[in-house]
Amino acid sequence: MNFSVKAVLACTSLVLASPVFADGHLSLEGKTIGVAVVGTQHFWDREAFNGATSTVESLGGTVVPVDGGRDNQVHADNHDILLNNGVDAVISILGDGAVEPKFEALKAAGIPVFTVDHPSPHAINNTTSDNYYMGTTIGRYMADAIGGEGKVAVFNAFQEALRICDIRAGLWKYVLEDYPGIEIIQPELAEEFANAPEDARKKTLDLLSQYPEGAIDAIHVGCWDQPAIGVVQALEEAGRTDVLVTALDGGPDTLEIMAEEGSPFVANVAQQPNLIGATSAMNVARHFAGETLLPQTYVDVVPVNGRDEAIAAYEALGYGSLE
Amino acid sequence: MRGEVPSVLKITDLVGYLPLVIFGLVLTYISLHAPNFLTLQSLELIVMQSLPVVLVCAGLAVVVMAGGDDVVSGGIDLSIPATAVLSAGITAQMLTSGMPLALCAVVALAACIVVGLSNAVLITKIGMTPLLTTLAMFVAVVGVNNVITVSRRINVDHSWIVALRAQEIAGIPAGILLVALIVAILFFAAHRTGWGLNLQAAGGSRDAAEISGIDANRLVAQSFVVAAFTGFLCGFFLLARGSGSSPGVQDNLMLEMVLATFLGAAFSPRRVVTLWGAVLGALLVAAISIGFKSIGVNVFWTGLIKGSLIVVVVAFSALAQRGR
Repeated sequence: MNFSVKAVLACTSLVLASPVFADGHLSLEGKTIGVAVVGTQHFWDREAFNGATSTVESLGGTVVPVDGGRDNQVHADNHDILLNNGVDAVISILGDGAVEPKFEALKAAGIPVFTVDHPSPHAINNTTSDNYYMGTTIGRYMADAIGGEGKVAVFNAFQEALRICDIRAGLWKYVLEDYPGIEIIQPELAEEFANAPEDARKKTLDLLSQYPEGAIDAIHVGCWDQPAIGVVQALEEAGRTDVLVTALDGGPDTLEIMAEEGSPFVANVAQQPNLIGATSAMNVARHFAGETLLPQTYVDVVPVNGRDEAIAAYEALGYGSLE
Repeated sequence: MRGEVPSVLKITDLVGYLPLVIFGLVLTYISLHAPNFLTLQSLELIVMQSLPVVLVCAGLAVVVMAGGDDVVSGGIDLSIPATAVLSAGITAQMLTSGMPLALCAVVALAACIVVGLSNAVLITKIGMTPLLTTLAMFVAVVGVNNVITVSRRINVDHSWIVALRAQEIAGIPAGILLVALIVAILFFAAHRTGWGLNLQAAGGSRDAAEISGIDANRLVAQSFVVAAFTGFLCGFFLLARGSGSSPGVQDNLMLEMVLATFLGAAFSPRRVVTLWGAVLGALLVAAISIGFKSIGVNVFWTGLIKGSLIVVVVAFSALAQRGR
């Protein structure tokens, strides 16, 4: 196992252990907590949701779950239902600007809002990965992978819509400023929020027909890695695995692709969505215990550079073994 | 023989009311399991969330009234939800670049009317089936909107748009009052004017209408323009509800529009699509959606249940029609 992966995971296991055991005094007994998630189709969303709901339950609370089915509007509207249900607090996972007026209404009704991956002026606390580290790390890894120069296409539909994506894609671009030989192909590509792998597959095939062999060096997905699944499919279909792929999130599905021999998917930064959801639920309990929370809680990430680190991270994050 | 006729009628009547009975049972079940479901606040929530659906349903109802309620060969316009997101997309994009709301609205209106006229020409002049034409139009218009918005979320915080969501007049949300007014005007036009009577005559029996001198084609064409206009209006309510334009809203809107409009037929004594039936259908569908979430049903099950309800409604409508 790579040393840095080991080190990060050692810290991580400490973090994993600490909330449950060190904060044994915390309780959500008698509290009803609404947990709104934008969707449960993708690993990240589902795991953050599972982490939050199971932690609320293990602290003695009752969960009212609502799922947006990967539709931001449905997700936002679901907060009205939680408001109407009179829950004691809301954990809201992801979501775009459509949720802001809902948060405002919850706050006005005296229901504290805790967000996951969605900083908001109306929330008590936002629990998220270290998005700054994710953005710069993937920028460095991608630049190294293509030898510091070349043409790069980017799927970047959400930089303006979601703050976390602005941080990740913005810092990726910030790193590339120091590589004058790297050119970002314009216009940037915009992936769909739902059905992202299939949508990205089609858009990549179109892109490849515009950019023949040698005219494009890498495809990066700016904020997540579900589209990267489709990107890799398209590269394999077109026999263009010379084009390298980088992305962010690092769930088991994409780590498996990275772990394949000769995979074009060369770099990622893995998050710990279950721990993020669980930490948010712990924060709800801390709030009710009278503790003052910082506006942001950061959860460690695991940088994954190349096939070997993908295999190591897969095992270390508890997804099983790929060897 | 004479004695059997009323009993046959009774059974078909009953079959026609079954969709309503099923909805009634589902709602009763929900109210028993969700303590806050039968409150005024809950009712307001249901109405507020269904405003965009109500508008597109009203548009679809006019098209069905003009073209007849045979889903395949009659009047149908699946493109209204796409027109609505086009209206929202154009307005959001132009507002973001600093243009005044009135100008955005004019451009959005023009684009929506072009969609309505295209449907009208393709269907009444070239003779294409409404189902296929408007489905193709749906795909094309969503494509155009993706080009305009670059498939991105656009936040909108214009005070007029926010007012549609947040402003209250005499304790009632302004959005509800406005949609009620729009629906009332459409209802008046479709059910209380000569134009509306001709429209219904054309949809009821095209041949009979044409024999009596009604230009059915013209009325069908007009109905598609009216539908596009409701899509245009709906766009602003989508912007208000979502405080901006998010990609993908059209899919759910189309499902709910079709379900609500045809469910609405069960409210009509003659089992035909009517405007107020469609509006009530929209409210019922919203009540069911919100109800299932209030009792914690997984959203995937909600999808399955909605799909099954469409099947049940269409099946019982067909049975009731056959027995008529």
